[in-house]
Amino acid sequence: MRNLASLLFAGGLAFLLLAIASQLAFGTPSMRVGAEILAVAPDEVGAANLVTAVLLGYRGIDTLGELAILFAAATAAGVVLGRRHANARRDPPGGEVLRTGADLLFPLLLVVGLYVIAHGHLTPGGGFQGGVILAAAFFVIILAQPTRHLRHSLISWIEGLAGAAFILIGLWALVEDGDFLAPLLGQGAMGELLSAGTLPLLSLAIGLKVGAELAGIMAHIAEAEAPDA
Amino acid sequence: MIADMTLSRLLAADVGYLVLPVVLPLLGAFLMQPLARVSARGARILGPLLLVLSAGITAQLWLQLGDAPFSLAIGGFAAPLGILFYADRIALLFALAIPVFALLFWPEFGPGAGGRDQAARRDALMLLLVAAATGLALSGDLFNIYVFYELAAVASFGLVALTGTGRSQVATFRYLMISAFGSVFALLGIAILYMQTGTLNLAQIAQLAPETLPNPIGLAAFALMLIGFGVKAELFPVNTWVPEVYAGAPARVSALLAGLVSKLAVLVVVRLLVLIFPQPEAAELMLVLGVLGILTGELAAWRAKDFPRMLAFSSIGQLGMVFVAFAISGEIGLLAGLAVMLHHLIVKSALFGLAVRWSGSLEALSGAAGVSPLASALFVLFALSLIGVPPLPGFWAKILVLIGLAEGGTPLDMMALMALLLATAIEASYLFRVAIRLYEDTPTPVPPPARRDLGVAALLGALLLAVTVGLKPVADRLGEDAAQLGERALYIQTALPSHVARKD
Repeated sequence: MRNLASLLFAGGLAFLLLAIASQLAFGTPSMRVGAEILAVAPDEVGAANLVTAVLLGYRGIDTLGELAILFAAATAAGVVLGRRHANARRDPPGGEVLRTGADLLFPLLLVVGLYVIAHGHLTPGGGFQGGVILAAAFFVIILAQPTRHLRHSLISWIEGLAGAAFILIGLWALVEDGDFLAPLLGQGAMGELLSAGTLPLLSLAIGLKVGAELAGIMAHIAEAEAPDA
Repeated sequence: MIADMTLSRLLAADVGYLVLPVVLPLLGAFLMQPLARVSARGARILGPLLLVLSAGITAQLWLQLGDAPFSLAIGGFAAPLGILFYADRIALLFALAIPVFALLFWPEFGPGAGGRDQAARRDALMLLLVAAATGLALSGDLFNIYVFYELAAVASFGLVALTGTGRSQVATFRYLMISAFGSVFALLGIAILYMQTGTLNLAQIAQLAPETLPNPIGLAAFALMLIGFGVKAELFPVNTWVPEVYAGAPARVSALLAGLVSKLAVLVVVRLLVLIFPQPEAAELMLVLGVLGILTGELAAWRAKDFPRMLAFSSIGQLGMVFVAFAISGEIGLLAGLAVMLHHLIVKSALFGLAVRWSGSLEALSGAAGVSPLASALFVLFALSLIGVPPLPGFWAKILVLIGLAEGGTPLDMMALMALLLATAIEASYLFRVAIRLYEDTPTPVPPPARRDLGVAALLGALLLAVTVGLKPVADRLGEDAAQLGERALYIQTALPSHVARKD
């Protein structure tokens, strides 16, 4: 009965969505805001990557909100994940090949992550993407050697200070310029590494926060007790 | 010196400081866990301190800038390219109520059961919830609203799971699934609006709506967003998470979710209805779902066996009434909606506060009046107001809805009117049943509510009585609020002054 109801519901929903989709004019988007941003963003923000100009400039508070959502999810995961007993079973280490491979990958992933973060205002990429790559570097280490501990206090400090840095840059603009998260420091020459004002700093803050957060969740999961233990 | 300058600028009420009630709690949340490693006491007072500061800043801005609405382009990027905050009287009222209620129902001022780490997480999640709720009240950009809505959702998942029992985790998981389902719907609705209008700014969509949205597509977008934002507002088909979550979560968190957060989701829907979807079909859809919410909620509350579940079901019914009220066209609908909404905010929060120690089955409550006469008296007061017994404010709110429905006069309105009267009878039946049980003459092992919850309930009860005495000025003020809330042209004019000028 319940399955039948679910099936009917799903079918009805699919029909509804198809009906809506058939009415929409795909392929001819109304570029009201998009076109305007394309026209003014290079002068107003000075970032060669216009997506970053939108994410950190025009819609900076959205990005702050998204950062907070990720943080909320990590914190909520911390609430739910239990502590392990001192004598609970651990996964065995991954063996010589895996360990050496992880040690080799670790610095490479860090460099790629930092590169993606630092060039967020120039090329596709930025804090979120680079942060995930940074976290992946730590994932590799934890997966290869489950007995290894990440220092929770250090992760927690990086995460907290990076998040605070994003907001403090915004508050600095509020005091200096009267507007929260207004770009400061001048735009510089477009395309240079040091350009687009405070945008690279914001990218760095996001990257460190996202990286620390995801690495923290992974460390937490690795330390939580396996259900069969 | 610098701190001095900042303080004096702060006191000079710059519109730009309107972001602070959103941003400061976020800052506190980010720093909470590292701070707790250094100083547990510092972390413990950080949350309440920031709430007081946020409330102070909002109050200060409101006092200095007066009742006329104003808007703030964040980052100095003028809307519609940037995001704006829009502050009218209702938005400011909520921006003020959020930190105050969060302070009244702050889960615990001490370390609590889970130790230092868990306490820091709990406080961080509370601050995130406050920031998200304030953002929902103030934001004038559809996608920004979605971001804050998601933040409120994710923060509440963590808070609801705080008790750590298996039951509460199952309830949280169900809540998470339904929320995710709703979020997809809301996002789809927003995407459709963006596709049709090419903008996410509420004011600009409002400007373009008469040409682009009075069609089935627009209506479908509204329906999707109504269902999506309805999850938090306990709207009829997407409210199945409510009873289990409120029964399993810490009661103070339930108080905040049922009292405060649900109202902000309603406020978002009302803004959409007022600004973008004036079609009668949109309001009719809301009316029907509201009526179904009233009937199912009240009937389930009548059958409920324990106190938090009864409150949860009654809250579904009351929010159904809020939706019915806002579905009434014209200013009376907005006034009735605001009255029911604020009344429920005060009453249901206080009742959940009483449920902190009374979380067991209803039968266990018999004779509780002997142990805690004040709590029982307060319960009776709130119950009478919920039922709508004159001269309490609940009566006035309900009468406004009934008058609005009677004036509307369509068959749907009449159906809603009958449902409302029926619901009142059911409400009276189950609330009196509990009241009688409280005053039964049996010795009881039920503990009295904690002094803090009793104090908060007494405070809110006193507020309710004060409104009863001063109903006339409150009603006048609320009428002005409703008038301002309903002025579509004023919203567009305030949010996009340059745009309007350019168009003329």
